Amino acid sequence: MTLTVTGPCALWAAEKGFKIGVSVALTGIVGADGRLVKDAYTFWAETVNSRGGIEVKGKKYPVDLVFLDDKSTPAVSAKLIEKLITDDKVDLLLGGFGSEQVFAGSAVAEKYKYPLISGAASSNKLFERGFKYYFSTLGRATEEVRGCVEVFTSVEPRPRTIAIVGANILFTSLACEGFRKYAKEHGFDVVHYELFPIDLQDYNSMLLKVKEKNPDVLLVGSHMLVAMKVVKAMKEIDFAPRGVAFSYGPTVPKFVEELGKDAEYVIAASEWTPNLPYKDDIFGTAADLNRKYKERFGRQPDFVEAASIGGAVAQQKVIEKLGLAPPLREEDRVALMKGLYEIDMMTSFGRIHFDQTGANVDHPPVAVQIQKGKPVNVYPADAAEAPPLYPMPPWKKR
Amino acid sequence: MSLTIQALINGILLGGVYALYSAGFCLIFGVMGVVNIAHGELVMLGAFAAYWLFLLGRIDPLISLPISFGLLFCFGYILQRLLINRVVGAPPIMSYILTFGIHLVIANVALLAWTADFRTFAVPWAGTSLTWGGLVIPKARLVTFVLAGFVVGLLYLLLSRTRAGRAIRSTAQDWEMARLMGINVRAVYALTFALGAGVTGVAGSMVSTFFVIHPQMGLQYTIVAFCVAVLGGMGYLPGALLGGLLLGVVESLCAALLSPGLSVAVTFFILFLVLLIRPRGLLGRGMLE
Repeated sequence: MTLTVTGPCALWAAEKGFKIGVSVALTGIVGADGRLVKDAYTFWAETVNSRGGIEVKGKKYPVDLVFLDDKSTPAVSAKLIEKLITDDKVDLLLGGFGSEQVFAGSAVAEKYKYPLISGAASSNKLFERGFKYYFSTLGRATEEVRGCVEVFTSVEPRPRTIAIVGANILFTSLACEGFRKYAKEHGFDVVHYELFPIDLQDYNSMLLKVKEKNPDVLLVGSHMLVAMKVVKAMKEIDFAPRGVAFSYGPTVPKFVEELGKDAEYVIAASEWTPNLPYKDDIFGTAADLNRKYKERFGRQPDFVEAASIGGAVAQQKVIEKLGLAPPLREEDRVALMKGLYEIDMMTSFGRIHFDQTGANVDHPPVAVQIQKGKPVNVYPADAAEAPPLYPMPPWKKR
Repeated sequence: MSLTIQALINGILLGGVYALYSAGFCLIFGVMGVVNIAHGELVMLGAFAAYWLFLLGRIDPLISLPISFGLLFCFGYILQRLLINRVVGAPPIMSYILTFGIHLVIANVALLAWTADFRTFAVPWAGTSLTWGGLVIPKARLVTFVLAGFVVGLLYLLLSRTRAGRAIRSTAQDWEMARLMGINVRAVYALTFALGAGVTGVAGSMVSTFFVIHPQMGLQYTIVAFCVAVLGGMGYLPGALLGGLLLGVVESLCAALLSPGLSVAVTFFILFLVLLIRPRGLLGRGMLE
């Protein structure tokens, strides 16, 4: 008798898990970048579900992810987050890719009191709105590019002049500001600084001007598409400074796949590397995360993937600690928000501790370089897998 | 000074690129009065044809140009026969709606088939450049420039010297009269659209050698083609060359000497002025409804 009652009940309970909505770019200008975030959350959910789900008060609840494509458009992102909350009635949210998109989407999440942790949006302005429900596991964009500048203080002969260009959207223009700030701090001479429209079709003329000034190093505020276009144009106009670094793009696997040999020597900013001493009880060490991710997707995780996983883990840990079982009510999410401000934990992505603006504590600045078709950590020296290759040879000698 | 000369060269080469992918747009508008909003998708299809032929068959884009032309020619012929023929002669809004729909369908089917990935491929010769007295001339763009002159010249000769060309021109001037003279107007329209699409496919293949391509790239190309056509005179074929060059040079000089952000603004300002002062295009040879 009891069996017949508990049987269907247990089944019903098992079906009721956490429904988590993600509005992320899968197409459009940051579509290739955004799909990394989708992979990262998928990997987190698969790992958690393989252990039965998120454990709340001794009971396990599986995770069900709902992905919607914001088409790299901020307005669409806002609309989709509203849809996820009101229509799909998700319990929780996780952040998408790109500062513009997350900027718009997080405003809606704030309105409905849904905590939104992003691992792939870092523009300073995201943290200057006085929001209570927005968190980011990445540092600020201007700080994120520090490693890209500092790596050039460690090479011989030390470069003197730097040119900075970047697309005039939120993240990339802030990255350029960061480049300038750290370049000045380290005594480099910034000989050129220019922002250009994101939909500029032909980069040759813009870069001709930079080439004319003959800088030792070129720093580019970019996403993946801008980074690809810059490399193609540099080769076409035969412009090879001694070093070139990008705020984002080269660590997206497609960058190397499509550009092939032309991607060599290119440097990119990062906030994570698998050989740092990070660990948690879900994925193990950073190296374990790296290995398992490779087994699942056939490639190493990029730092935004590690940061996205870190955000998902942080949210999971607070839920487990507070014992919030699905379906979550508004007061549960308010408690979750408060709980997120209190954590100071280690994950395989590194330390997570949000300040009052929702930004994470600073991570060590990392720079990676494409060497023999793979992103290799070249800075800081104590976490480096190899020394940076410098200077970059001219195009005609490759 | 050398920057100005280099920017000028770059602008002229870029103008050739613009001219090549706008020629088909001009031809189609000139003959049928159809503003083809799906034009950029034809560029995209041409680009992907070259991309896949290179990736799967290791065929150099220069050698695969006739294949791109053939593929897009057939595609254009079918598209015209099945769909666009129904709106020729109807109010222009009908052709906008129809070709906008075609634009959406092609772009989204391509998105499903090839994903939103940004693609580029390294043809050994295409990424490099010639250097001459300190000036750099990218090879792929030089080829595209020469091809633009060749294609526009060939189309012009075809229209002015051949029987088919005369049929096309007479249909463009007065289709009812042309029909009375025994011309199969439907076949002429289909042939024109197919030619326009074929040429655009060739342009797309060339573009793929130096620009990053993806399924959603089309609209930007349609906008540029529209600007080029207005500058050169809507429907006037040699105007595509002139419009393309003007646009390329202005953009390049602006980007190099002023700011890349201004180049777009200046382009649209010129477009505005031309529409205001010379609505038939710079040479005054375009059509006006």
